[in-house]
Amino acid sequence: MTKALLSLFVGLLVTAASFAQTRTVTGRITSPDEPEGLIGVNVLIKGTTVGVVTDLDGNYSLQLPTDAKTLVFSYIGYLSKEEAIGNRSIVNVSMNPDTQNLEEVIITAYGTADKGNFTGAAVAIKADQIANRPINNVANALEGQAAGVITTSASGQPGSTPQVRIRGIGSVNSSSSPLYVVDGVPYDAAIGNLNPDDIEDITILKDASSAALYGSRAANGVIMITTKKGRKNKPTFNLKVQQGTASRALPEYDRVNAEQYYPLTWESLRNGRLTLNDEPSVANQFASTNLIPTLGYNVYDVPNNQVVGTDGLLSPNAVNNFVGTDWFDELQRTGNRSEYNLTFSGANETNDYYASFGYLDEKGFILNSDFERFAGRLNMNSSPTKWLKTGINLSATLSEGNNARDGGSSSFVNPFFTARTVGPIYPVFAQNMQTGGFILDEFGKKIYDTGDLVNLGLPFRGAGSFPGRHVVQETILNIDSFDRDVISARAYAEISFLKHFTARTNIAQDMTSLLNLGYDNTIVGDGAPAGRTRRENVRINGLTFNQIVSYTNTIREKHFIDALVGHENYDFTRTVQSISKQDQILAGNIEPDNFVTINSASGRTDKDKIESYFSRLNYVYDDKYSFSTSIRTDGSSRFFEDVRWGTFWSVGAAWNIDKENFFNFDFIDMLKIRASYGQVGNNAIQNSGGGQSYYPYQALYDLGFNNASEPGILQASLAARELLWESNNTYDFGLDFAFGKRFSGTVEYFYRESQNLLFDVPLSLTTGLNSRFQNIGTMSNNGIEFSIQGEVIRTNDFTWTSSLNISTFNNEFKKLPFDEQINETKKFVVGRSIYDFWLRDWIGVDPETGEGLYRAEEYNADDAATKIVGIDTLTTNFQNARFHFAGQSIPDFFGGWTNSFSYKGFTLGTLISFSIGGDFYDGIYARLMSSDPSGGALHTDILNRWQNPGDITDVPRMNTNLNANNTNVGSDRWLTDGSWLNLRSINLSYNFSREMLQKMKLRGASVYLAGENLGWLSSRKGMFVSESFQGTSSNTFTPARTFTLGLNVNF
Amino acid sequence: MKKIVNKIAILALVMSFGCADGYLDTAPTDAVSESAVFTTTQNAFSALNGIHRSLFIRYDSQGQPGEGGVMIMREVLGEDVVMTGIANRWFVGTTQWVTHRDENASDVRFVWRFYYKVIGNANLLIANIDNAAGPQAEKDEIKGQALAYRAWAHFNLAQIFGERYKMGGGNSQLGVPIVLEPITEGGARNTVEEVYTQVNIDIDAAIALLDDGRNAKSHININVAKGIKARIALAQGNWPTAASLAKEARTGFELMSASQLYAGFNDVANPEWIWGSQQIDDQGTFFASYFAYMSLNFSSTNIRGNPKAINRLLYDKITTTDSRKKLWDPNAATAALRDPFIDQVTLSNFAKRNFMNRKFVAQANASSVGDVPYMRAAEMYLIEAEASARGGNGTQAAQILFTLASKRDVAYTLTSNTGDALIEEIMTQRRIELWGEGFRFYDLKRLNLPLDRAGSNHVEAVILGKISEPAGSINWQWQIPIAELNANDLMVQNPS
Repeated sequence: MTKALLSLFVGLLVTAASFAQTRTVTGRITSPDEPEGLIGVNVLIKGTTVGVVTDLDGNYSLQLPTDAKTLVFSYIGYLSKEEAIGNRSIVNVSMNPDTQNLEEVIITAYGTADKGNFTGAAVAIKADQIANRPINNVANALEGQAAGVITTSASGQPGSTPQVRIRGIGSVNSSSSPLYVVDGVPYDAAIGNLNPDDIEDITILKDASSAALYGSRAANGVIMITTKKGRKNKPTFNLKVQQGTASRALPEYDRVNAEQYYPLTWESLRNGRLTLNDEPSVANQFASTNLIPTLGYNVYDVPNNQVVGTDGLLSPNAVNNFVGTDWFDELQRTGNRSEYNLTFSGANETNDYYASFGYLDEKGFILNSDFERFAGRLNMNSSPTKWLKTGINLSATLSEGNNARDGGSSSFVNPFFTARTVGPIYPVFAQNMQTGGFILDEFGKKIYDTGDLVNLGLPFRGAGSFPGRHVVQETILNIDSFDRDVISARAYAEISFLKHFTARTNIAQDMTSLLNLGYDNTIVGDGAPAGRTRRENVRINGLTFNQIVSYTNTIREKHFIDALVGHENYDFTRTVQSISKQDQILAGNIEPDNFVTINSASGRTDKDKIESYFSRLNYVYDDKYSFSTSIRTDGSSRFFEDVRWGTFWSVGAAWNIDKENFFNFDFIDMLKIRASYGQVGNNAIQNSGGGQSYYPYQALYDLGFNNASEPGILQASLAARELLWESNNTYDFGLDFAFGKRFSGTVEYFYRESQNLLFDVPLSLTTGLNSRFQNIGTMSNNGIEFSIQGEVIRTNDFTWTSSLNISTFNNEFKKLPFDEQINETKKFVVGRSIYDFWLRDWIGVDPETGEGLYRAEEYNADDAATKIVGIDTLTTNFQNARFHFAGQSIPDFFGGWTNSFSYKGFTLGTLISFSIGGDFYDGIYARLMSSDPSGGALHTDILNRWQNPGDITDVPRMNTNLNANNTNVGSDRWLTDGSWLNLRSINLSYNFSREMLQKMKLRGASVYLAGENLGWLSSRKGMFVSESFQGTSSNTFTPARTFTLGLNVNF
Repeated sequence: MKKIVNKIAILALVMSFGCADGYLDTAPTDAVSESAVFTTTQNAFSALNGIHRSLFIRYDSQGQPGEGGVMIMREVLGEDVVMTGIANRWFVGTTQWVTHRDENASDVRFVWRFYYKVIGNANLLIANIDNAAGPQAEKDEIKGQALAYRAWAHFNLAQIFGERYKMGGGNSQLGVPIVLEPITEGGARNTVEEVYTQVNIDIDAAIALLDDGRNAKSHININVAKGIKARIALAQGNWPTAASLAKEARTGFELMSASQLYAGFNDVANPEWIWGSQQIDDQGTFFASYFAYMSLNFSSTNIRGNPKAINRLLYDKITTTDSRKKLWDPNAATAALRDPFIDQVTLSNFAKRNFMNRKFVAQANASSVGDVPYMRAAEMYLIEAEASARGGNGTQAAQILFTLASKRDVAYTLTSNTGDALIEEIMTQRRIELWGEGFRFYDLKRLNLPLDRAGSNHVEAVILGKISEPAGSINWQWQIPIAELNANDLMVQNPS
């Protein structure tokens, strides 16, 4: 809309002059994205000041003087175009968007800024960049799209939200997630509640000076989301329909089959006895005899003790009786995805409106995983008088769905863990051990084999494959669902007074009402045999109220001043009630009333409050020199009253070199250098479980430790009255450039230091507590970001635009409250990063014995497990293994490459995201490489195990006896290259031509085929390498690949 | 000038939106301020009840249900409780003598922090109770119980993490840090002797403050305190004290009848129980429960695939007329011979293994709720008998043993054993009577006996060759958890 207004303005000036006129030329201006006509385009006769602007339908009519030869069409945001008139009386033109967007307006905290004069670092993603992508969630749009922004990949759970980090990792025990700001105010609901189709602009504020006005909560960057507005045009009605499928994007790990599995287990048993010094013949016999008793199941038609003979080979007579031993076959399906969006928008001189309704229904590729969302939005603005502007953005979202239970990486109800880990000899459905064939129940149906059906004469499954549990049956019978209603409102009123002043107040409220339902069935699993129900009600209410006075003036045409001062308060309330009951009365009803015994009933309310005062001053001289400064002070309820106020400030400056008179390189369209420094605070302290800690300074006793019927409390925390804001201080240096009328880009360097790190410092356990919060520690992040975009090829019919971004970051602890802290696979020490792996030093396999070797911590001549090889002291005993730093999960560089090819009405868009370097610790693989599987699945790499003296391999021998020589424990054996490349998105669309549209009586229409997550390259098949920032794997819902056919129609 | 005035006015307007005093003061609703806890004795009782409750809550994982969890670990390190299958692996590493020797093991951290958590909460009461408003009698009751807890927890820590107490004193080997006040930094390890000295000071002070009154058996009264003192004296080889305190501790508690013996060991109302937790339905902990591992009937993967059995060698020592003999079924694997009670309370998918127990019964297949026994009169009889026998008073020992054994076995006659044979008989009675209740590791350690599982029904796949452990080896000391070594520069690890 801003563009249109500006154009109108220019146009009015232009048409002031008049000339002698002889003939009339008319025409219509369109563009690929506005086929219904571009309004407000300047049409000018070349070499004159004669011209007009196009009307609401993109039409123009112009009287031509006799000497007129060429028309010039110009429009902000589009490449100007010249057309020879010749003898034509109709000149229709299609204009192309200017991908350089040099005149772009940047959305900033509490306002906007001209990109040209902006002193900070920001990246904008526009609506058209995500328009045809079948994504459910705004955060999904960020992968690979912006330099300096690294994301995890969304899981395949419909409706899931990926994690985002901007410019490295900002904190250890406080949040490292960015702040989401929607229509100017921090958003207090899950970001998945926003309908991506409603979004006009996503701007990522990366540096502290641009984010500083969100000071208290912007320590990890800000993602500003602006929703759509009605445009000054005739009322538009848009319908978008998408239909698609969802399937598994990553293949499963390669696992051995039954034929390979029995001899491997046999070897484990045999070697286990050899370790206990049995004679080989005794050990072989032991293994043959005990193989089936250990594993339980014999899928072959030969006697138990003959499945694997004493020679260690599978019986040549063995015929496999069993079918259906791949549990994923029963858990997976082809999901489907339907999305419908209707929008209706328009505007006149004083009012604009935008209304939308969206419906999304996605079924994941795992049973019982789905997501359904109804999202409605109404955005209205009105200027009833010259001095008053007001508006309201109101959205309501209802979503509900079922979650696959992938929360616990090794929980028996987790479909990925269980189906992946169960050995290849265990059937999903009960089968006759001797003859094969399904055992049927009284109704003639197959029976889920829980691995402990002793009453059917079936054995127990081996210990490594969860006897008594059945993930398929549990997934079908259990319920884990949610029902979430969100109402989000943003309202403002703005009064202009005294010529240069405006006073504005914003009030925003985000309300979430969430009902989580859980049910564990009566037949199998955690709830059996009684049945358990759990329901949790969560109400979240975030209120932001601010008052801002601003002053804007241009003095003597060259001095532009923009200042503001404001006050804001934030009031957040979260109330939770939960109840859990067991002993289901009637089947089919999971309401609490249908259960007998209360297991727990609890509720609580948490409050989080912030009050802030802030001010900002921007000064621009002659569009050449820009200067920006801000200061903000915040008080947080999380800190003790004497220290709760923190003050944060920023400065920034930019110099547009290309505007200088001495600068006369025509090839360079723009050259700007800029620098900024700013501080932002972080109070989002997290407790050890990852939840927010709202009262970290208080010495507390926890309620809820009643002793039978007597009230009871337990010490929960120590006082921390000196605790104060964590501060993130960022230096940013940037160079923005544009050249050749085609390309633009940015190079940036940042140095970010998180000081007074809010650390959950471990206490000696003899204090009776685990840890306490302290502000000790400093961590730095620095990196280089580069992005370039432009048109590689442009001909009349064909254009190729491309955009590439590459970033790096290094993370380093500068100061810590302890010498070292081991944190699972990582160790924190000064001089290293938060994601440096600290693991046992795995050397390999002893070719003589087949035992795994680690570098030894200490040499002990009496210890038979240690030996000296060359100059190295090695040990087979993992408890004497030496730990060392072994790489880090932070990549060398990461980024994305976007391409768009247009030919006539066709456009092909691709997005490739990548991350190169860094290490990945694959714990899932480690589990699949056990030398004592006892019923658990094995990776095919185990086939390379050591078998005979002299074998050179990196896979130790199979062995049930792991007491000392455990080769499966955490070590750098499980580290692998963490590089990956993902063909994130492909999109082929076709825009109907004007002629066809006229026949159909439409203003615009396009069809498209879109795919997400089409191909993944990484160093191991099946590995979900972009699951987490810390570079470790877990049994989580792997990403979905979706294909969607879409239709987009404008009336 | 006018403009400046205007600006100031606007600024003043903006600032006037500043919030009211106290806007930023918040307080949790699921917790209370520490300062409010010690204002009155009534509030302080809540903090004491929190300690009682802390004995049966879930710690970091489901195999860590407070004292019940440590009791299981102390049993599976011995030879008398047999794990009949790997099931879902809980406690398998401990039965193999691996887990407790691993400084990184979560179970090791749990045991250490559990007892120190009890000490920390007790110390807050001890430090603050004198200033609380309330009757002196209540202050004494609170302080007495807190002191008893402090003694009990230090005593357990010393037995687990320290080298054994060598009877006769002079124990300069490393014990555990003594903590006597609220601290924020960890200290160095005290010697075993120092720990026992402090434990005695605390338990004596507790006995002086307590009487036999209490609201519930989960509380510590003078009987419990004296029972703890008897245990301490037994471990120190202080026979006369052990015998006399044990006797005083059981005063007023009747031995249970044969029918009560089969009631499941899950009810604190049992007349024989001196001290035990009391769990009610809405305080259930699902799989984090003593009964989720030790009972025969709770439907957990662990119990379905690994019912706990008695060492058959010990079982064979039980006389056929002993009513305790039926607490285990030597023929459970054979349906026709099985004790019908087992089929009655389990489901079809439960493994039935020979010598499995029916001693411990959970509330239901789907409920692991149950009271956990911490101290029974029978134990006090056994302490008195053992201490008397070891102290040279065989006649008295035999008489005390008779009181207990004849209650269990109607055919039992006064023993004619004397000397070592009498002590052996008492120890056998002790193993049978207290099976599964968390004593075996302590007994082996304090008496400097080896672990010997040879010839028993222990399952090879579970113990992986762990048949024996020589007496007094370094493996009898648990490793100090890595978390403590990381956070406490003064901490010293046990030898490995």
